[in-house]
Amino acid sequence: MLTKFALAVSLSAFAAGTVHAADVVVSSKIDTEGTLLGNVIVLALNANGIKTQDKVALGTTPVLRKAITAGEIDIYPEYTGNAGFFFNKPDDAAWKDLKQGYNAAKKLDYDANKIVWLTPSPANNTWAIAVRNDVAGPNKLKSLTDFGKWVAGGGDAKLVASAEFVNSAGALPAFQTTYGFTLKPDQEIILSGGDTAATIKAAADKTNGANTAMVYGTDGAIEAAELTVLEDDKNVQQVYAPTPIIREEVLKANPKIEEVLAPIFQSLTADELRKLNGKIQVDGEPAKAVAEGYLKEKGFLK
Amino acid sequence: MSMIDIRNVTKRYGETTVVDDVSMSVEKGTITVIVGTSGSGKSTLIRMINRLVAKSDGEILIDGRNVADVPETELRRNIGYVIQGNGLFPHRTVAQNIATVPQLLGWSKTRIKARVDELLGLFNLDPKAFSLKYPHQLSGGEQQRVGVARALAAEPEVLIMDEPFGALDPVIRGKAQDDLLAIQKQFGTTVILVTHDMDEAFHLANRIAVMRGGKLLQYSMPEKILTEPAHPFVQQLTGTTDRALKRMSLLSLTSSMAPAKVGLDHGLPQSLSLRDALAEMIWQGIDEAAVEDTAKEPVGSISMSQLLELGRKA
Amino acid sequence: MAETLAVRTLDRLGVVLVFAGIAGAGLLPFIYVKANRIASGKPMLLTQLLNQPSAIALTLLLVLTAFAVLFLEDARVRLAISTLCLAALIATMGLVATAFTPEGSTVARMTPGGGFWVLLAVTALVVSDALVKIRLSPWMRIAALALYACLLVLFLRSGLLDSLSIMREYANRGDQFWSEALTHVKLAFGSLAISVLIGLPLGIVCFWVPKLRSALLQGLSLIQTIPSLALFGLLMLPLGYLAAHVPLAAALGVSGIGAAPALIALVLYSLLPVVANTVVGLEGVDPAVRDAASGMGLTRRQILTGIDLPLALPVIVTGIRIVLVQSIGLVTVAALIGGGGFGVFIFQGLGQTAMDLVLLGAVPTVIFAFSSAVILDAVVDSIRGPAA
Repeated sequence: MLTKFALAVSLSAFAAGTVHAADVVVSSKIDTEGTLLGNVIVLALNANGIKTQDKVALGTTPVLRKAITAGEIDIYPEYTGNAGFFFNKPDDAAWKDLKQGYNAAKKLDYDANKIVWLTPSPANNTWAIAVRNDVAGPNKLKSLTDFGKWVAGGGDAKLVASAEFVNSAGALPAFQTTYGFTLKPDQEIILSGGDTAATIKAAADKTNGANTAMVYGTDGAIEAAELTVLEDDKNVQQVYAPTPIIREEVLKANPKIEEVLAPIFQSLTADELRKLNGKIQVDGEPAKAVAEGYLKEKGFLK
Repeated sequence: MSMIDIRNVTKRYGETTVVDDVSMSVEKGTITVIVGTSGSGKSTLIRMINRLVAKSDGEILIDGRNVADVPETELRRNIGYVIQGNGLFPHRTVAQNIATVPQLLGWSKTRIKARVDELLGLFNLDPKAFSLKYPHQLSGGEQQRVGVARALAAEPEVLIMDEPFGALDPVIRGKAQDDLLAIQKQFGTTVILVTHDMDEAFHLANRIAVMRGGKLLQYSMPEKILTEPAHPFVQQLTGTTDRALKRMSLLSLTSSMAPAKVGLDHGLPQSLSLRDALAEMIWQGIDEAAVEDTAKEPVGSISMSQLLELGRKA
Repeated sequence: MAETLAVRTLDRLGVVLVFAGIAGAGLLPFIYVKANRIASGKPMLLTQLLNQPSAIALTLLLVLTAFAVLFLEDARVRLAISTLCLAALIATMGLVATAFTPEGSTVARMTPGGGFWVLLAVTALVVSDALVKIRLSPWMRIAALALYACLLVLFLRSGLLDSLSIMREYANRGDQFWSEALTHVKLAFGSLAISVLIGLPLGIVCFWVPKLRSALLQGLSLIQTIPSLALFGLLMLPLGYLAAHVPLAAALGVSGIGAAPALIALVLYSLLPVVANTVVGLEGVDPAVRDAASGMGLTRRQILTGIDLPLALPVIVTGIRIVLVQSIGLVTVAALIGGGGFGVFIFQGLGQTAMDLVLLGAVPTVIFAFSSAVILDAVVDSIRGPAA
């Protein structure tokens, strides 16, 4: 009696194991951009005959890393700059360059975990400074070099940012040194949390005279708030390029994945990402629909 | 024929001896009351009869069988057990409470119902009104009656009672004691009862056992306890102030009356104790009265001087 | 009406509620008209909305309810009036939202403001106060809950509330809402069942073996102090290892992410109330009752099942009520490790700074927890009945 039961259970376990091996488990972080990119991957793979299991919007970064290294999930979109924290090299200069950072991440993660970093997107979802359109336009502010000159020349900038951004050596102080400007204390509004939604909202509403906000490069709310992101033309910040990362054995079993995702991710520029994030965040469309719409528009999906 | 035989029973908790080599026999169909102050070991002693407490030494036999030879639960289902506070099951009705042990013994439903109704009737609780009530809906006196009824439900030969009337107010305590006497007479149960109240002992007991510090000081009929105390403590317990009246309360007119006389105006029932007869005659201001049976026919007479004579120290 | 006009001694609660209601309606905006999900909306007070017929009707009913709260003696009439007012409040919210939504716009969002929430809370309190005064039996209380739930469902079905921001969020992800709802219910009840299956016997053992009691209760209290997210994280590693190396475990659904760590963590958090309440409940049984039962010849098991557990049941079920409400709340955190449930909407909403999405997750959670509490409290009262 007991042996029959044990046999049945082990057979079903075996069967269950075989079923799992076929489906690629696609996951992502629980934030807006993660959910978007996760859905993009699911739809793209499904359209190309690769069966997937949808575990999009799973949780926070540590949860995702634990899951992929344990083999619970197979593929999810990560950021090149984050590799610095995973492998304890946060101050390495390589992260400031997209290509160098990407290569470093690729090598480190493959050597340590046999995780392959596929083709990245050219976008940079890193700390940035955005200015109200009605200030950027008249003063012709496109890059941080322009901004630096304008502030140094007496431009009336009022920045709303988090305490960490203002004090962290790699953030505002670095910007100020590189672009040659200094914000006086009364030109800074400091918020306690790092929530860019709050800073964007403050600049949009001109709260306390704010007209400049700390943002992340691809935040969806930027356009709706009528702000312009200033280009970091001297590469002060580390690059955080969205990249799909996948476990090697899953890639070997489904080699098509690389060629399917490469053109898609290359097409996702910062502008495109901002627009798509905006559709989800501002217009409230579900991420799956937005992903599908984009893929159809660009012809990746029929 | 002794029903309960306690032989050299001792109970020790570590260094302390709570019951010290106690021996006594209780005759079938009698009421034995164990009296003592708290800490005398009286409750521990009776709880060794139904093995709620394990004895350290000695033997206890019920109807010739050693209680140690009978499985605990079987032993207890055949002994009635009443405690102070009753321990009625609050989530069961009166009828369900009483039916507990019969159900455990596997009686048929009809037999149980008949028994429940019979007992309720005996205790003056209308079955129709009381069967379905819950304990918290009853008065203190009603709860106490149900407690005793529950103990008697399975027709046990032996009834153990630990301060059963302690929680009742004095007004109904006497009535409850009288009820017990009547029931015991009807069923012929052997009763062993523990109390700290000497008056209660005198009211109920065929024999009284006095305990102190774990030792049995005296075990004899109530008369002897009064007239021949075996120990100064026993005398202390009974008190010296009204022992004459106590003694008179033990005797009834039936056993002490003089032959019937004619021409007596007042009549007293023969079941009256000498003490109550004395009180009544003082109240009425009479020197002599006729003693009557239940049909109010004269069967004897009693006079004041005779009463005073009877109350004198023997 | 004349008879019911008996003046009641000014009920303190009533006065507070009326003041709160007036303050809320007068000072806080009733609705925010937002151009899109994340824009800060234009606040509108109830007083500014009085060109809408529904708002006028609502204001009249609010005044009538205030009058009833302060002066009417009959709880039934107060219940009727306040229920009507509650319905009007919700209906008005829906109608006003529709009125202010630009024609054909799908991005505009109408969010209830502080004024609405204050009025909702105040009216709900008047309703529940009236229900308490009517002194319903436990089953009638559950029936009343069901009735109000039906009322809510009617509103939702009627489409009256479709312009509200929270309903817009729902419209965009209806299927996901129900699948997460099912997950949430499964996790909450599943962990409850397991913790009772483990905790009840554990509590009985603790009761019989006092030496075990303090050690076990202290251990369980220690677990309670671990922050939930930390515990979820701690469980991921061993469970992940188990899933990778033991095929049976993977087949059973054990994995480092998702339901398995959430379920185990929830069970661990639920053990303390169950075990502690079982012990307290058993200890609360009158020792005289147990002594009598023992002396009458009931076996130890018969005493446990026939006397101890039935008498301890009200306290034990109270522990279960605590656990269920706690679990319903904790399941929202499970969303961060892929466990699903209403928490998914809360955290997505937070990430997108869309409070309406957060509400889509938070409101059902609160309704679920509230209903569970009401139902279980009614159960406790009904079993306490005979023994009371």
